Order: sequence, then C-alpha cells, then structure tokens
Amino acid sequence: MTSVMKTRPKKTRAGTRSIRPLARGDRPVEPVIFEKSVPGQRAVDLPPLDVPRADLPPELIGAPVELPEVGQHDVMTHYTHLSQRNFSVDGNFYPLGSCTMKHNPRINEWAAALDGFAQLHPLQDDEQIQGALRLLYETRCFLQEIAGLDEVSLQPAAGAHGEYTALKVIRAYFKDIGQPQRHIVLVPDSAHGTNPASCTMCACHAVTVKTADGYTDLDDLRRLINEHGANTIAAFMITNPNTAGLFDAKICEAADIMHDAGALLYLDGANMNAILGKTRPGEFGADVMHFNTHKTFSTPHGCGGPGAGPIAVGDKLAPYLPAPQVMMAEDGSFYFDRDRPKSIGKVRSFSSQFGVLVRCWAYIAACGPDGLRNVAEKAVLSANYLAARLCHVYEMPYFDPQKGRFCAHEFVTVPKGLLGKGVSLNDIAKRMIDYDIHPPTMHWPLRDCLMVEPTDTESKRTLDHFVDVMLQIAQEIERDPKALAEAPTDAPIRRADEVAAARNPVLVWDG
Amino acid sequence: MDYTQITPDEQSAMLEAIGAEGIEQLFNAIPQQIRFNDTLDLPPAMSELQLKRELAEMAAHNHGPHDMVCFMGGGAYDHFCPVLIDQLAGRGEFLTAYTPYQAEASQGSLQAFFEFQTQVARLTGLDIANASLYEGATAVAEAVLMALQHCGKQRVLVASTLHPDYRAVLRTYLQDLPGDLVELPADGGRIAAQTVRRELDDEAACVVIQSPNIWGLIEDWDGCFGAAHERDGVCAIAVFNPIACALLRKPGECSADIAAGEGQPLGVPLSLGGPYLGLFAAADQFMRKMPGRLIGRTTDAEGRAAYCLTLQTREQHIRGAKATSNICTNQGLLALRATMFMTVMGKHGLREMAQQCYHKAHYLAEQITALDGYALKFDGPFFDEFCITCPKPATQIIEAAKRRRILAGIAPHGRRMGRIGDENDLLIAVTEQRTKHEMDALVEVLEEFVT
Repeated sequence: MTSVMKTRPKKTRAGTRSIRPLARGDRPVEPVIFEKSVPGQRAVDLPPLDVPRADLPPELIGAPVELPEVGQHDVMTHYTHLSQRNFSVDGNFYPLGSCTMKHNPRINEWAAALDGFAQLHPLQDDEQIQGALRLLYETRCFLQEIAGLDEVSLQPAAGAHGEYTALKVIRAYFKDIGQPQRHIVLVPDSAHGTNPASCTMCACHAVTVKTADGYTDLDDLRRLINEHGANTIAAFMITNPNTAGLFDAKICEAADIMHDAGALLYLDGANMNAILGKTRPGEFGADVMHFNTHKTFSTPHGCGGPGAGPIAVGDKLAPYLPAPQVMMAEDGSFYFDRDRPKSIGKVRSFSSQFGVLVRCWAYIAACGPDGLRNVAEKAVLSANYLAARLCHVYEMPYFDPQKGRFCAHEFVTVPKGLLGKGVSLNDIAKRMIDYDIHPPTMHWPLRDCLMVEPTDTESKRTLDHFVDVMLQIAQEIERDPKALAEAPTDAPIRRADEVAAARNPVLVWDG
Repeated sequence: MDYTQITPDEQSAMLEAIGAEGIEQLFNAIPQQIRFNDTLDLPPAMSELQLKRELAEMAAHNHGPHDMVCFMGGGAYDHFCPVLIDQLAGRGEFLTAYTPYQAEASQGSLQAFFEFQTQVARLTGLDIANASLYEGATAVAEAVLMALQHCGKQRVLVASTLHPDYRAVLRTYLQDLPGDLVELPADGGRIAAQTVRRELDDEAACVVIQSPNIWGLIEDWDGCFGAAHERDGVCAIAVFNPIACALLRKPGECSADIAAGEGQPLGVPLSLGGPYLGLFAAADQFMRKMPGRLIGRTTDAEGRAAYCLTLQTREQHIRGAKATSNICTNQGLLALRATMFMTVMGKHGLREMAQQCYHKAHYLAEQITALDGYALKFDGPFFDEFCITCPKPATQIIEAAKRRRILAGIAPHGRRMGRIGDENDLLIAVTEQRTKHEMDALVEVLEEFVT
C-alpha cells in the first residue's frame, strides 16, 4: 500500500505548483537572491532625513542599481540556507593540505569586533589609537621572535602579497647596493604557484630548480647559478617544510650556496605550523620570509580571505620595508614611522590588515611559547599518525618510518594501487564529501596526489574516524570502482560541470 | 591555552602506531645545529579570561568613531551597518570555510560570490565582476596591470586627484615593470577632459580617474573617458565609491572599461584600515584577463543549478609565472558582508543612503561656508565629502574638535595624506549616520576660529 506521505498530486489546479516532499538527504536548489526580489520589500530602513534637501543636478544622477528587494526574514533564511550548503572547519574535518585549516578560536572574533578595535578610522592621530598601536607593535615583536629575524612589516594583505612585498624589498636592496642586475629568482618545481607569479609582478625572472625525492636538488641549484651567472641571482625562494611535507635538512647548505653567490634565501612561511618553536627561519639562514596568519595563527579563512601576510627580514633588508612602520618611542608610546627614505613605499592603502592581526595577537598570546611549540608537535604528530595508519593502502612516496623518514605537518599520497582499479583521484576526493569530510588538496605538488594536513587542533577521535573513512573508501573501490564516479551522492549538489562552466562562462545573473 | 586536543595517553598510543620512540624523533629531519632549544621570548600563555581583560584594556585605550562623532573620510567611511550583517557573516559555515576549490562542498559561498559578482556588475554598470581583491589601492593597481597587458602599451595616465595612497601603491607596482606613470594635473580640483586629450599619445595604455575624487569632487568621467576613447585601445579605468554609484552616474554609464574601488563602505568595519575589500568590474572583453577568483554558474550531474570556480587557467596555481596576477586569497568574508549589505539595503535603501549622504554633506557645507573666513576650496560638484579652507591651520581645528569628542575631518596637508593641499585645508566627510545636531556641533567648533 502506498503511504499517504508519498502520494504526489498528478495534476495541480491552475496557478499552483506541485511541491514534492523532501526525501532524506534531498536538498533543493536555492534560488538566487534576485529571484526572491519583491518590489517594495525592505529589510531595514533609515531614519527620516533631518536636514533640508539640497539641489542635485539631474545630469549627475545615474540609473537605479537593480539590487534585490527582500524583507528581513527572507534575507535571514537566504543566507542561512547558503551557509548550510558549505563545508567548514566548524562543521567538518577539513584536511586541505598546505592551507592549515585549524580551529578558529572565538575569543579572537570577540576581540576583533570590540568597538575600540573595529571602529577606528585609519587616518586618526597616533595618540588616539595607542592601544591599537601597542597591539601592532607587540605583534611585530612576536613575529620577529618566532622568525628569529630582525624586523617585521605588517603591511601585506595576504601570503601572496607578502611574497610580492618581500621580492620588492629584495629588489630595492640589490639596487641600493649597486647590483640591480640581480633579477633571477630560483624556485623549486614543487613551489606554490604564487611564487613564480609574484616574481613576474616584480619583473623578476623565475627559474625552476628540480627537486629529487621530495627535496631540492642542490646540484641543480649550483648548476643554475653557474649557468645564469652568480651575479644575476637575487634569491632562492623555498618553502620549508616543503610542499611534499618534508623538512629539507639541507636548508643550511642551500643558504650557504645562496650567500656565497651574493644572493638571498627567501622562506615561504606557508608551513610554519610544523616548526613553531622547534627551529626558526633566522637560524637556518633565511634572510627574509613571509607568514600566513590564516594558516599558522588561526585567523579564519572566511571562504577565501581576509588573510594577512606579514614579512620578516634581517637587518640589512629592514630599511627597505614598506612605510609606515609601527614603532615604540623612548617614552613607551607608540607611533607610525613614515620617515623611511629607503622604503619600497606602500603596497596597500593605509597600514595593515589590522582586524586580522588582532586575532593573530590573541592566538599567540593564548598559546604562549610552550603552546606554540606544542602546536608544532601536535600538527606533526597528527600527520604522522594518519600517514602511518593509511600508508599500507594509500602509497606515500616520502613516508617511511621504518627508515626513520617521517613527514612534517602534512603528507602526500599517490594512491597508485587504488587508481589502477579504475577510479580517478577526483572520484576518491568526491566520495569523501559523502562522508562529510572536505577533500584534501589534489594534484599538487605531484600529479595524482592527495595532500593531507590534519593540523594541530583535531582530536584523536576525528583522526581515527578519517582513517576509517579512507579505508572504507578503499574497500568500496575494491568492490565497485565504477560506483565512485557517481560521488558525491549526498551533497547539496551532484558533481558540478566545471568544463561547461569554463567553456561558456556565466559570471552574473541575467534574470 | 593552545587549543590542541590530544592527551598525553593518546600521544603515546599514536607514537606507538607510528613506530616512533618519542615526539622528538618526528623532528629528526631538523639538523641539531639549527634546532631551537631555547624558549621563545614571548609572554606566558594566557587563559581566555586573561585574554579578555588584556584585549579589552588595549581596546579601551583607543578613541574613534565609536566614542566620538566622525567626519573623517579620505577613503574610509563611517557608514551604517545593519546588525544582521554581523550575525550572518559570523556564521561558522562562512567564517571557517576556505576558497571553494571543491564545488560540491562549497555551494553556499560559491552562490553568494556569484550574487556578489552580479551586484558589483550592476553597481558599476559593467558586464562582469570578480569575487573581490585585497582592497581599493591594490584593486586599482591590478586594473592598471590588466590594461597594460591588454593593450601592450606603457603610459599610464593617472589623475593627480586619485587618493594619495592609491597613487603610492601604483608607483610601487609599476616601479620595476615597463609602465610609465604620468600624473594628470587638476584644474579647480578636477581633471579636465582637455587635459586628458592633451596627454594622450600613441603609447597611452589607460586613463585612471577617481570619482568622487580625493577632494570629494565628482569628476567629469563622461568627458575624460570620452576623450580617452578618441584613441583606439586606450582603457578607461574608473575608481569608484560604491555608495556614490547608487545615486550618481556609474562607471559603465560613463563609458568606463574597467572599474576598481574600495568596498569598505558596504558593511565593512573601519578597523584602522583593514581588512578591506577590493571591488573589480570590467567589460566582457576582459573576462580572460581578470585577476582574482571568478565564480561561474553551471549545472550538476542532474542538471540542477550549481556554481564553481571558473576560468582558473588565468590563475597562479595553474599558470605560475604566466598568471594574470599572483593573487590567491580574495577577501571572501568581506565580499560576503558586502553582498549581504547590498541585499539588506536593497535597490531603494542604498539609493536613499546615498541621497542622505549627499543632502547632509551639502547642509553642513552650507552651514560652514556661512561662517566668516570659511569657504569651499573648490567650486565643483561634490557627493558626501568636501574640502574647506579655514581661517586657521586645520590641525588646530582638529585638536579643538577632539576636545568636544568630534573627529572634525582630515588635514590633507598632513603626511598621512601625502601633503596634498594647504595648511588651512580641512577635508570633511558626512555619512547618513551624522545627525543635524552633530553637524551643528561641528559648526560651533569652527565658529570659534572665525577671525
């Protein structure tokens, strides 16, 4: 007998729509906000104008902007529904390699939203914002200490922007010491894509250095320096631990090679989470580095930003840092120093991602020196634990604990055995979504690899669950590899057609 | 506390599973000579209670628009922000997600960004928009880089009335690249179409004009961009204020090819200058040269509407050194705030907000110029910000106003503004938040300086 609940009207009266009850896991498409617009609806109003109206010449007036007209409650439901269609660190395990998706403490959000921080105009006098300047100055000092370098600039808006700023500083330094011809930046073939792209924006020429077995090939580094001429090399830009999840023990040798060539060592600090308090870039020869506060220091990723990308440099590069710089005066007060004649200038308007740096300060202050070291230990422990429990099914080219070869805070797997059974890497990744797990970074730095970074804040229980899921997916592949091509089957949408999206781009709603 | 959750017992079990003797063994790749065996010289860990005290204390040492009346602008404005925005944008599903690489796990942010792109395109009157850039100045720099790449020429004509920070950032960005910056002189605080015409030559790549400009004046975009387009291939770049676009003629209505601007007025806190939001829109022809993330509408395997990152071959993670920009992160959460803000204010609300700014600014200007010794510095039309010449140095007036808990405005002669203007100039911004009472209080302060 058919249940009443499942019967559907075959015909509807004119003017009504047939609405199907939702099955379990069935999530209907959310109409775009413009489709919900009803002329005359308002979500908020403004107080009446309390001054006389002024003349507004008609030739200055533009056509109305066709923004949606929606009542307050429908605005709430629209964005609430959209939020429910997202995976997030709050709701899901999110082991996106290289992105350090750790827990975002809410005390940080509370702090950044304090009126005394959130409601400050960027052009106010220093004396009115002493608390904010103190916070910025202390953040500077914290980061200098963590880097083991002499001076930090808080101006860059994101990691890639930090790279850009640092490369400009390097250029300015070499110009100033009479070596403007140094324009070549050596970048490993496993580097973040931002590295060579940042070089291009600074008119530097990025030259690729080979990696072998996950590490920089120092012979290739030497060869390239000889080939191009030592006096054309500006810097070697290295991520350490690198993108293969390995700490490159030859980093000091690489630094010596660069310094012998009169060039600099640039550390991409994307993976600082693995070495906090264990070693410092300044100790292993870095002349300059950038931080990603949204990776290492728990500032939220916010669907793609805002981040902050402070850079740290040694003394000889400090004069070239962007202006203004936050300083402490002899009387203990704080000020913005704009008098920096050798500075590269500004790389953004005003002074910094202040609101992000408030969160960064709160995180470092919460952890303290021992806590930061513990963060690195737990991040590395968690990654090694996952790797150890999965490596017999998911092959890992660089992980071999028997031989004392461990990973840092993340590992890469190239699951050749599973891929040989008729599934694609994408199938595996999309299947993870059905288990409420955000897929890891894919196809980078190796083809057909997954890069898994569990971070320091996950519980053992979550890590064990992840292992169980990954092993179960492997069993599913053994049983019926073709079934995975359907994944995800229990997500807000089935697989999105990205090829069609690029072939015929629809970037705006034209309804 | 450090927010980790693994207990010592669990750590032992995990080390055993790994086959490691202790935690230090996992760090064996770090050579002994570079190990940091000391303790970082940082303050000891704080509990949440201590943090709250310490942070509240630091916040209490700041004064600003929260406890003073703000007439400061100069690229950052004290606009109303509905409470709804904080509530919705604070949802963990938005706050703690990342760039939507995995479409099926990110439909919420993807759809919101698609709606944002649509709103920004409509606001600017242009065909397409991206999912945001860092902030206004870098958005303008990216627009110029795109124009240079588009037309393969080198001269960049920039209005001298563009925000001094934006011009400074442009100088930094163009310094090592083949691009020559030429500043267009102003006449009466604005750029004349004739000036654009005079400076154009065969090497000109683009013309950059901000309206309202640094003096708050509404520029003649029609005339200037019309002049630019008299030469083939020259890109017209409009630097815009999103609130002004809700009332005044938009970049697209004035034949701009690219529009870039600061999105802070759209529900983003002042927050001492950041994080802010770069807005970026352009004509269709620039689609494949755009910097930053682009979201496209597509379908899923069942034919339902779906959204995904698209045209990624422009981007650094695919193309490396040949990417259109090095940008990786956008300002996702702030783009979300802006899109929620535009939805909440709506078609009529945003226009009304702009109208109130206009009428209030003109009321205040009228009251001030009625005082002896005060006059508008320029005659041109203005929106919500204007410059007056005072009988005394602006810094003296600003100091006097502070004692009455008023932030009277900005001294453009000061270092923070790149020393544009004269000592007696005072730049005043008026948003819809300012009341007649507050404006009259400012006028009283100024009256004390009447000679």
